[in-house]
Amino acid sequence: MIEAQGLRKVYGEKTAVDGVSFTVQPGKVTGFLGPNGAGKSTTMRMIMGLDRPTAGSVTVNGVPFDRHQAPLREIGALLDAKAVHTGRTAYNHLLAMAATHSIPKKRIHEVIEMTGLGDVARKKVKGFSLGMGQRLGIAAALLGNPQTIILDEPVNGLDPEGVLWVRNLVKYLAAEGRTVFLSSHLMSEMALTADHLIVIGRGKIIADAPIGEIISGKGTARTRVRTDEPLRLMQLLAGDGVSVEAHDRELLEVTGLDPRGIARTALDNRVMVYELTPLQASLEEAYMELTKDEVEYHSHITTGPPVAATAPAGAAENQAAENQVPVKTGGDQA
Amino acid sequence: MSATTLESRRASLPVGPGPAFHRVLNSEFIKFRTLLSTLILLGCTALVMVGFAALTAWGTGQFADAAAQDPEAAAAMAAQGGDLAVTVPTAGIAFAQLILGSLGVLLMSSEFTTGMARSTFAAVPKRIPAFLAKLIVVTVSSFALTAVSTYIAGLVALPILQNYDLKLDLASQQSIKLLLVNSIYVAAVAAIGMSLGTLLRNSAGGIMSLVGLFFVAPIAFQLIPGDFFEEARKYLPGNTILPLTAVEHVPDTLEAWQAGLVLGAWVVVPVVLAMLLLKKRDV
Repeated sequence: MIEAQGLRKVYGEKTAVDGVSFTVQPGKVTGFLGPNGAGKSTTMRMIMGLDRPTAGSVTVNGVPFDRHQAPLREIGALLDAKAVHTGRTAYNHLLAMAATHSIPKKRIHEVIEMTGLGDVARKKVKGFSLGMGQRLGIAAALLGNPQTIILDEPVNGLDPEGVLWVRNLVKYLAAEGRTVFLSSHLMSEMALTADHLIVIGRGKIIADAPIGEIISGKGTARTRVRTDEPLRLMQLLAGDGVSVEAHDRELLEVTGLDPRGIARTALDNRVMVYELTPLQASLEEAYMELTKDEVEYHSHITTGPPVAATAPAGAAENQAAENQVPVKTGGDQA
Repeated sequence: MSATTLESRRASLPVGPGPAFHRVLNSEFIKFRTLLSTLILLGCTALVMVGFAALTAWGTGQFADAAAQDPEAAAAMAAQGGDLAVTVPTAGIAFAQLILGSLGVLLMSSEFTTGMARSTFAAVPKRIPAFLAKLIVVTVSSFALTAVSTYIAGLVALPILQNYDLKLDLASQQSIKLLLVNSIYVAAVAAIGMSLGTLLRNSAGGIMSLVGLFFVAPIAFQLIPGDFFEEARKYLPGNTILPLTAVEHVPDTLEAWQAGLVLGAWVVVPVVLAMLLLKKRDV
């Protein structure tokens, strides 16, 4: 369990984290979602006692990180794939880390096998790909068999197989009753991995809820309708709180009325309908909706009307990509 | 493992051995011995020490030969105390201090430049034990390497000196004193280097500061006119080794006990400052 109380971090002029409070519960995967520069990495470094909070406090299992008797056995963290001296071999890196807590060599071999580093464990980290570096970071995080696991952008640089592996690993760890806290700026990844979501933007918590609630609560339910009399159905459906958009010659998108209501109206008026598909707002859209005012670098698209629920998925992705301008200030690379 | 078994594990604290000092020391020693660059620097130091001793033995022999035929040279030799051979094994000490001092800088600055510091201080969140463990590894290895290199250098120089009928007794009191004092001095320089590496967190900056302090400042202080710099020059860390190793007091230097205290202060102040800032700053 991780508990943050009014956590705040100021670097010179810039407030990276602005008084956040949240709780990460054991037994589930909690996603930490936010655009770049939102304060994710800074928050995670504060949990690990590497950055000192300007104000507020954070505890892991009720104790501040630096007061734990055996920190690596309590919390394992991947904060940065480059938290390794590249002149050392992966095995020796893990050996040096394990030595601080008298973790047996058997466990080093276990995590090497678990992370698929067997072939490269005796090679210098210098030659590692980003994905290999991530695997080594995850191996180091698991070394002490900790109850709490913090992973900052673990899927960065991983190939599709690696992404799937991380997804299954974190779910497995959570199923064992561990606390898993996972950050990402990739909304689609979170939709597949996380059970609970904490969304952060510009150093403030924007949402903290189960993932289902975030998807259904913030996005509006829509229904795709295909009919051979679109104009007539449009007139029939139009009314209080219901909006209908014509997309194609025989395609409508209805917002504000559930499929049952649409079918009822169509049946009553003998309009033939040959498709009724509920469209759940994707997390991507929900995320854009949540963070549209909180991203640090606005692209010109976001200054326009709110991301329409009707915007094609591709557009939302482009927009996300444009928001990923690297942060140049301070040490925060969140 | 179900949630309940995890709960029971959590209840039975502690969960296992933590970062006690001897474990952190072991970890730092593993880090020290598993970097090829460190081993290369250590090898270079030994090589330079032995090589310089051999060259100096040869040079001293030539000088002694000349002195035997030339009364002027003999007078110059007598003015130097007569016993030239005893300093031969430590002839390369200036280079040893430069290399091992830089190694001290690098071992700490590389933690920060590579990001290793995040792993190190996540494992040892109190930070100071990790610093002290590294300090012990750096100073003890610098001391040991200098002492062993000096002894080997002496063994290599012996036959060369004998060739010129010069005597060198490696077991003499002065030989042992030179070996120990020089080794302690090099360990002190390495400790200063490591503190600079901790304070600056930058390899180039740390090494340049060290070179500035030990090689540039003495020359600069000599060139700048004025009594202040004349006096201050004696207190530079690099100028404490002469009074500490000399048989008799050398003019324009501190007394041996003063030099010892000054060198001690040059170590303690940066080390304490480095620890305070390491504890306070973000990693």
